[in-house]
Amino acid sequence: MGENNIILKIETLSKHFGALKAVDEVSFEVKRGEIVGLIGPNGAGKTTLTNLATGAFPKTAGKVIFKDLDISNLKPYQIARHGLTRTFQVVKPLIGMTVEENVLVGSLYGRDKRNTDMKNASKRAREIIKLVGLESKKDSSVSDITLPDLKKMEFARVLAMEPEVLFLDEVMAGLNPTEVEEASTLVRKVRQEKGLTIVYIEHIMRAVMGISDRIVVLHHGRKIVEGTPQKVVNDSAVIEAYLGKRYAKEVNNEG
Amino acid sequence: MFKNKQVSIFLIIVGIIIFIFLPRFLSGYWVRVITTIFMYAVISQGMNLMSGYMGYLPFGNAMFFGVGAYITAIGMGKGLSFLAVLPLAALTAILFSILLGLPVLRLRGHYFAIATIGMSGAILSVVQNATEITGGAMGTTLPIIDKSPEVTYNYFYLAMLALMVITSLTVYLLIKSKLGFGIRSIKANEEAANSMGINTTYHKVIAWATSALFTSIAGALYAYWMSFIGPDEVFDIMIAVNTIVIMLIGGAGSVLGPIIGAFVVSLLSEVVWSAFLEYHLAALGITIIIIVFFVPKGITGTIADFIKKRELRLRKKVSV
Amino acid sequence: MGLQMLINAILLGGLYALMGIGFSLQWGISGIINLSYGAMVILGSYISLEFFNLFHIDPFISMIMSGAILFVIGAAIYRTLLQPLIKGGIVFTLILTFALRLVIENIILKVWSADYRTIRVTYAGSNFQFGDAYVPLIKFLAFIVAGILIYLTYLFMMKTKTGKGIQAVALDKEGAQAVGIDVEKMYLINFALGTALAGLTGSLWASIYSFSPHLLGPIVGKVFIIAILGGLGNIWGAAAGGLLLGIAETAGVVFLGSEWQDAIGMVIMVSVLLWRPYGLMGKKFFG
Repeated sequence: MGENNIILKIETLSKHFGALKAVDEVSFEVKRGEIVGLIGPNGAGKTTLTNLATGAFPKTAGKVIFKDLDISNLKPYQIARHGLTRTFQVVKPLIGMTVEENVLVGSLYGRDKRNTDMKNASKRAREIIKLVGLESKKDSSVSDITLPDLKKMEFARVLAMEPEVLFLDEVMAGLNPTEVEEASTLVRKVRQEKGLTIVYIEHIMRAVMGISDRIVVLHHGRKIVEGTPQKVVNDSAVIEAYLGKRYAKEVNNEG
Repeated sequence: MFKNKQVSIFLIIVGIIIFIFLPRFLSGYWVRVITTIFMYAVISQGMNLMSGYMGYLPFGNAMFFGVGAYITAIGMGKGLSFLAVLPLAALTAILFSILLGLPVLRLRGHYFAIATIGMSGAILSVVQNATEITGGAMGTTLPIIDKSPEVTYNYFYLAMLALMVITSLTVYLLIKSKLGFGIRSIKANEEAANSMGINTTYHKVIAWATSALFTSIAGALYAYWMSFIGPDEVFDIMIAVNTIVIMLIGGAGSVLGPIIGAFVVSLLSEVVWSAFLEYHLAALGITIIIIVFFVPKGITGTIADFIKKRELRLRKKVSV
Repeated sequence: MGLQMLINAILLGGLYALMGIGFSLQWGISGIINLSYGAMVILGSYISLEFFNLFHIDPFISMIMSGAILFVIGAAIYRTLLQPLIKGGIVFTLILTFALRLVIENIILKVWSADYRTIRVTYAGSNFQFGDAYVPLIKFLAFIVAGILIYLTYLFMMKTKTGKGIQAVALDKEGAQAVGIDVEKMYLINFALGTALAGLTGSLWASIYSFSPHLLGPIVGKVFIIAILGGLGNIWGAAAGGLLLGIAETAGVVFLGSEWQDAIGMVIMVSVLLWRPYGLMGKKFFG
């Protein structure tokens, strides 16, 4: 589909809240099967960008092209049905339902043109729950499980939608180092088995570096650098963004 | 409700059979009381679908009751038979729910509830003032059935019973279906529901149209039963209040809730009325306050909690 | 005729404005749709009635007592009954305030019966001329007092520590908590202020118009409209909404006949809800 197998194209996307430019003319492409890390300090515009791409916010300017289709003006549910989904920074479980029911909803709805009748959807949901390792908790109410399990549940839910592109919005937030390791392994495993394309949003460098093929760095709503993890980590603009001008000068002076 | 599905079905069928034969043993007064209970159960199922399952409280839902009643009255006044007017009444109500629903269902919680009250009030005013068509504030009559009172009572008793069973069954099947999951997701987290590919507007409209359908049929039957209706009566805000109390007592989010609630509320009213004639308003008010504080999940909710807790306790014992 | 109608409309609107602000504050800030608001308004009327009948105190003076008593009642109701239920959602608070209305209604019926009452002050008939129109003195005084009270409410919200605290909570609950504001206390005071304003309106109303428990429902209908027109929690919005409703009702009665009075309000309200859910003023902000 499309040249160079580009599945998602963000074209000069902007979102202004009055005078505040939360996202300022950001452009980048995502190839099918890639994991693209989207990083930047807090407030850089990563989540806003995600909201724009998935139709949750109306855009001020720019376009979002998914599988050669301009999805810029579609509603969130339509975009999800096309195969572009996201998880939430602050998990949004379907309260009052069990873990299994949550994943089932993802399986019933989600991308079009699959078997979305109850029987097949239930089967798919159970498989995904097994895949992420939540089988023992599947009948628990979402109000009764821990945060790491909630994140697993939301991950399972979005996987059950069988997306082609998935925005993972700061999945690591609130997890301890062991849980971060576990989550990273799970994401890698799932990516391999399902052939997903992932936009991986984080503001913790370490989590993103090991897993991404390419990285896009945002700062104050603008894209400041794009490239391999190696290139990005040594870029002075990035260092400046995260650690401030003085440190960047020091690093550069040291050569 | 019970673990064994077959037991549940058996009990329900037994229950229905008992209800069918009950009128033989009851006075006309009680037959009428129970008919009204069935009717309220239907209206409450409609409200419960919207509020208990979907999280949108249509405080003014009685407007569909009134619409059903008046279309029936007007239609029969023009010579149509009841069975001919019934689909018209239902269709009108459904149309209203779709036309009014599309703009109003995107309002969040409080606003939606209030908007429905406003609509109900506006329709009431129109009915009160369109005297030529509706008979105005003084009400209008319907053709009286040419049979003995006893036969008439039984006829409407059975009709309301049938309506209650059909409504409850429909809601039950709907909730278990894929559509039902979509509806429940709206209450659970509407933003998440949208992001998962659920067309929430479509689901909201379907839910409200379903609720309007059954509520309007109840209104149609009521009009034919009473042979005389007035606007204040069929658009009365107390209908909404009663159904909310029924949902609270019965327990929201369960198909049995509205039925149990309707029975309990009706019996409570009978007791309160005869015991507290002069203070019945205060008694009703205080009763509501007590229920809201001590039994917020209603009867079915509290029982469900109790069953769950007992299961957890048993599970703990086993795993040790 | 036009001038007389306009003056009547504005004088009525002033009272509506005061009445609507209390309800709007309760709904917009404390998050409670208070279906017993009508009962609180007429309670204020009855309190002034008793002060007049028993002690011959003029309602313009006894309204202070009304306001104080209703403030305490409002605080008590909020603390004991409403605060615990807020997390349960709209169904619970709505049905609870309705239950409260029933209880208060029953009390009023028992003590004062359903008869229409009014307070006959000696200067009831006085009026003065303004151009072609006659301005009844009481209505004029009530309008002035209502205006002063509205302004005092505004000053309270803008200039006092408590008022600013309430505003802060309304704008950003977590932020307010973070800086050490007692959020629940702010909600409580705000709610009690709302009932106080209801009581004050009732007192002003009592010597101008007649009142009875029949007004319970219609009052709530009116304050809904005013709150929505003005934007929830918006003082000047509610004031404008009250004036607008006064004008719409007066004009409606004149041109369409009194039967359509309620319908007009309803249609306006639903239209505003659909077109501008945040009220005619735009955003939900203060002052």
